[in-house]
Amino acid sequence: MGEFEVVGKKVERVDVRAKVTGGALYAADVQMAGMLYGKIVRCYDYAHAKVTGLDLTEAAKCKGVIRVLGPDDVTRKEYNASVLDMMVSTDMRGVLGDIDDQNIFTDHVKHYGDAIAAIIATSEEAAERAAEKVRVSYEELPVYLTAEASKQPDALQFRPEKPGNLAFQLPEMAFPDNCYAWGDVDKSFEDADIIVEDTFYVPKQKQCQMEPGSYIALYDDQGRLNCWTSTQMPKLVQKKLANLFELPMTRVKINQTVIGGGFGARLGMVLEPETCALAMAVPGRPVKLLSTREEDWVTSPSRHPGKYWMRMGFKKDGTPVACDARFENYKGAYYVDASGTAFTTGAWLGGMYKFDSLRYHGESYYTNQSICGAFRGYGNPQTNFVMEQLIDRGCAELGVDPIEWRKKWHKTVGDDGWCMGVPYNSCALDECLDRAAEAIGWAEKREKYKHQTGTVRRGIGVAVMNHTSGAMPMLLEHTVCDVLLHQDATATLNLACSDMGQGSHTTLRQVAAETLGFPYEDIHIATGNSDAAGFDIGAHASRTLYVGGGAVKQACEDARRQLFERAALELEESVDNLYMEDKIIHVKGASNKSISVETITDQGVNNFMNPETGERIGQPGQIQGYASFFPPHNAPPFGTTIAEVEVDTETGEVRVLELVNAHDVGKAIHPGVVEGQLDGGAQQGLGMVLTEETYYDDKGICQNNSFTDYKMFGPSDMPKMTNILVENADPTGPFGAKGVGEAGLVPPVGATANAIFNAIGIQILEAPITPEKVLRAIEEKGDII
Amino acid sequence: MTSRVMRDFDLLLPESVAEVVDLLTRHKNNAAILAGGTDLLIALKFDYAVDNVISLALVPGLAELTFDPEKGLVIGARVTIADILKSPEVRENYPALWQAAKVFATPQLRNTATVLGNVLRASPAGDCSLALLALGGSVLLKNSRGEREVDIDNFWISYGVTARQDDELAMAFKIPPPAAGQKSAFRRMTRTTEDLSKISAAVSLQMGGGTCQTARVAMGCVGPTLVRLPGVEKILEGAEISPEVLQEIVAATAAEINPIDDKRSSAEYRLKVAGVLVKRVIGQALDNGGNN
Ligand SMILES: Cc1cc2nc3c(=O)[nH]c(=O)nc-3n(C[C@H](O)[C@H](O)[C@H](O)COP(=O)(O)OP(=O)(O)OC[C@H]3O[C@@H](n4cnc5c(N)ncnc54)[C@H](O)[C@@H]3O)c2cc1C
Repeated sequence: MGEFEVVGKKVERVDVRAKVTGGALYAADVQMAGMLYGKIVRCYDYAHAKVTGLDLTEAAKCKGVIRVLGPDDVTRKEYNASVLDMMVSTDMRGVLGDIDDQNIFTDHVKHYGDAIAAIIATSEEAAERAAEKVRVSYEELPVYLTAEASKQPDALQFRPEKPGNLAFQLPEMAFPDNCYAWGDVDKSFEDADIIVEDTFYVPKQKQCQMEPGSYIALYDDQGRLNCWTSTQMPKLVQKKLANLFELPMTRVKINQTVIGGGFGARLGMVLEPETCALAMAVPGRPVKLLSTREEDWVTSPSRHPGKYWMRMGFKKDGTPVACDARFENYKGAYYVDASGTAFTTGAWLGGMYKFDSLRYHGESYYTNQSICGAFRGYGNPQTNFVMEQLIDRGCAELGVDPIEWRKKWHKTVGDDGWCMGVPYNSCALDECLDRAAEAIGWAEKREKYKHQTGTVRRGIGVAVMNHTSGAMPMLLEHTVCDVLLHQDATATLNLACSDMGQGSHTTLRQVAAETLGFPYEDIHIATGNSDAAGFDIGAHASRTLYVGGGAVKQACEDARRQLFERAALELEESVDNLYMEDKIIHVKGASNKSISVETITDQGVNNFMNPETGERIGQPGQIQGYASFFPPHNAPPFGTTIAEVEVDTETGEVRVLELVNAHDVGKAIHPGVVEGQLDGGAQQGLGMVLTEETYYDDKGICQNNSFTDYKMFGPSDMPKMTNILVENADPTGPFGAKGVGEAGLVPPVGATANAIFNAIGIQILEAPITPEKVLRAIEEKGDII
Repeated sequence: MTSRVMRDFDLLLPESVAEVVDLLTRHKNNAAILAGGTDLLIALKFDYAVDNVISLALVPGLAELTFDPEKGLVIGARVTIADILKSPEVRENYPALWQAAKVFATPQLRNTATVLGNVLRASPAGDCSLALLALGGSVLLKNSRGEREVDIDNFWISYGVTARQDDELAMAFKIPPPAAGQKSAFRRMTRTTEDLSKISAAVSLQMGGGTCQTARVAMGCVGPTLVRLPGVEKILEGAEISPEVLQEIVAATAAEINPIDDKRSSAEYRLKVAGVLVKRVIGQALDNGGNN
């Protein structure tokens, strides 16, 4: 394109050198003088039980033990580890019914691994040995693992304010009849010539970020609570901790350490409350708390699993007349993100196709599973698995090509987006579909695979998705950024945006360089210190480049404006008549009239009087640009995946041969970063549809909370993959960019399921689609194709 | 639940076989041999408690992998999976073992884990162990009273239990030289590529004049130990391996195994695919040893 100097270039990422050389400092690496170690005593015998006795005396006598803490030794204030409640107005919080229902330590165990007590000791070994000596007695309670079980009238109630164990449903006040809807669905179905319908199951997928939970907290001698954490939301966690421990924000400091992957697992608090509670019990001593992988698995949130029913009607000519859906998710033991995913799962559904009418019910039921919360895609992969399979079933019955049908009926510019009333302002999905189809040879393969014999069958399938850049207007979207110009004409950005490996600090720095007109090397990005940085929501909803980048751009424009104003004074010219090149501000058409940026920034800081005239030399004052930025829109990314698979009909094994992902990214600020997001997303999407699921035995004991029996796609499982970046600038994004963090995960889910359908003519209704399920389905169907 | 803390034990570092035997005599079942440690260290973090861990790291003479066309293959106690993969003689003469090594875990694991450790672990999912069962051979054991050889057919008693006595060091595994016309192969199914087997099969067939003279057919993950399938072997022996014979084998396999439901798969599924797997591993053995 050539229009940009830094944007669109594959500059060196700010984070990778330290990460690959081992220099990056994760929370677990941080050592401090006098540091103590915590160990949480958890219940691994039951998923639902009352604690009838807790005896800490033997543990307290163990070597190296400093303190033992039960539920009454820490604050008993209830909290909600999620931060969603901080992103809506107080009124809306009431409407949604968000509640605080978590305790630091509990006497009512609600899931495998719930926290009972804790040890603080002089070493990790001593803490763990002492924890083994804690004696707990329990009264076992009935275990409810599914919504179907916990909604039964005779089931024990998890919370008095949530009758029927219905943690959340779309509230009547904002969603009449408790549904997200337009049109008259029942009436529209009367117009349908073809109706497709089924109940699906979507699995409890885990983020599997590399870094397990690691924290340090110190309640210091100034009465400040310091917490070292790799949270993806430092400013909201700062406020949450301030609320929980009843401290002003000035007395809570988050030191954000390098994030070893987030994917939603660090959205909100995880073990920050526990760590801080331990630290407050031993003022002046830092306390470190490290989770084992198994512990992290059951204490941090997972994707929402559950039953997902859907029904669609079409006219003979393909017109989609109606869609009716209900997602009942198995929420887990605590409220956390009960409202968020239950809504967005339907929002993505509503945002995709031009149904005459649509009705979606989203309900979250308490269960004795570990908590569910944010996970890359936030409800979208679940919808993709269900919606896209039913669309393909409809297309098969209509006898139309799935790509042609999608091109005709997907929503586009001017249509209501995922949030009704906010129309899409850009959409290049048709180009994505055309280019992906071309790249993989869609038409030829579709034709060829109609006529197959033998035990191994190939198939090719497509799926599309819409997503978002930030959660506006449903949730608060706001980032504060300031940029300080140093006397040598370099600049430091100060903000709280997180880089969890998605490359955002790199792309934000690119946005700053491009806007200021400075080289990339001249920008430093300072983050991680909640004392210094202004507000930011944190990393979620594919927002960091879109909203954070918007803030960076605005702050840098402010700084650049000040530079030009000063140059105009010095050069005695109007601002309009100036331009910058290589950090020198010139007067248009007058090659000898110029001033360097460094002269301006230096004179701003080192400002002296002329001893002869007594006048100031240059313009005084260090330049600082500032923005408190609220984005105007949510710049929807669109994307498609076409997948080709091979199904072994004798074993049910599915091999993914190829994926082509084509995404409308607006503008790829850093193409390598974008492709990295699409690659990583595809790896998690393939895992969700084919291999990944956390599961429990009848008693609610988690069976696979480690990599031994939870299987993700490894490098050798990954197919050949092509990423096509369609750059159709969004009118509101920084340099046209849209969010790309989550999108890559979504369409591989539906596309792979549809490719299996194309290969063997069967839709598998439960994810993950394991060989066991495929083989059984093949046998049940009898004759394949 | 696992732990972040390793249990306490004494790490003993003998420098000769005699010293190892001495330590085993002294500590008996309160000691474990540490070869690659890829099974042992995990067991120690869970429920396996011994006070002494005897490392083979400094013991000379155990790292040899020797092939002699007359005597066969000797795999020393410190021979790793990676060593197997590097050996052209293993690849040529014992394809089943080479193939098992090829799909075994990851490069890091292959550089550490030993073949003997795999045999001594006595897991029904042991990949190299399964190849060894199909190829036949024996475990050479040594204690203070002397040496003995135990045929692999009699070595695994039950899940995790072998014929080895507490005071015995496994010195080596010995495989007889390949017979003329011997073909072998290994095949496994896993949830993802890097995983333990959910079901596995290995065969060694002695082919002559288009018919199968003798056959050893072994399966993994279908019972408490690795097993041979005598019924299938009987069908093969004396037969020309035709599509009809293979079909007969597919049907016969399920009757010879006794799989369970576990985290890696279900009994139902294993019963369904076992015959297919055996059919395919036979095809693989006949197809140029299937090393490609
Ligand atoms: C991530 C991972 C992946 C794995 N993947 C596979 C796989 O794909 N296929 C597979 O088959 N296995 C796999 N394993 C299991 C393990 O790596 C193998 O069983 C390996 O061969 C064990 O060898 P080792 O040298 O590490 O044994 P160790 O752990 O050192 O020993 C295993 C047992 O044998 C005993 N022992 C070892 N040597 C002797 C000896 N000379 N005399 C007496 N006793 C002895 C030990 O005391 C111990 O009880 C995997 C393990 C891990 C951790």
